[in-house]
Amino acid sequence: MQTRSSSGDGKPQKKYYSVRKKYCAFCKDKITLVDYKNYKNLENYISETGRMFPARVSGTCAYHQKQLSKAIKRARQMALIKFSEEKRGY
Amino acid sequence: MNSKYEIGFIITPDANEEDVKKIVESISGTIKKAKGVIANIDEWGRKKMAYPIKKNAEGYYVFIQTEVDGAVIADLERRLKQMEKVLRFITLRLDDKLKKANKLTKRWTKIEQFRKKSQYGHEEGKEGTDAVVKEEETYADEK
Repeated sequence: MQTRSSSGDGKPQKKYYSVRKKYCAFCKDKITLVDYKNYKNLENYISETGRMFPARVSGTCAYHQKQLSKAIKRARQMALIKFSEEKRGY
Repeated sequence: MNSKYEIGFIITPDANEEDVKKIVESISGTIKKAKGVIANIDEWGRKKMAYPIKKNAEGYYVFIQTEVDGAVIADLERRLKQMEKVLRFITLRLDDKLKKANKLTKRWTKIEQFRKKSQYGHEEGKEGTDAVVKEEETYADEK
């Protein structure tokens, strides 16, 4: 169902919100190589349970997402970031 | 043929400073023997790991950036596996990645140049000056 405006002129009400456009944070900072040693930055791209965010959520470009996924896996191997963790707060 | 590599490894927390020195020197020594170049040695020191390895909560992190032959790296990997005081290790070749990175930087510089050019044309101030110049020309014609 379409939402109608209160004035009753029959036009559907405008939704007043703007979606901020996502951008690749690595392209913005001009980082050419994603380093697995920089684990504090990598933690921004994993959920609290330890899963990687898809590119459509984080907004990273294809070039950097490829490197990011490898970097996260390497960091996990070197025990810099967790593999998985049970959800807390229940 | 020499190429750039990065070696990283974790040493057990119960190892002394001397043990750490021994391991680092043995690795750097073999690299120097094979006429390799050690670019940088990064010692993070003791750090709490994200999860325990062999019931150790902490680990001593060392990273070495070098430029050596691939055969030496294969030999080092074999030796690192045998070391009891090394919990984990990782070796990476950086050459092909650096090539890709250079390509990307080139592309970015090109894009920036293109943007500057397009901005130059669309800027208000620039347009204004253009108009002024045209006016002056027309005046000159009239005179």
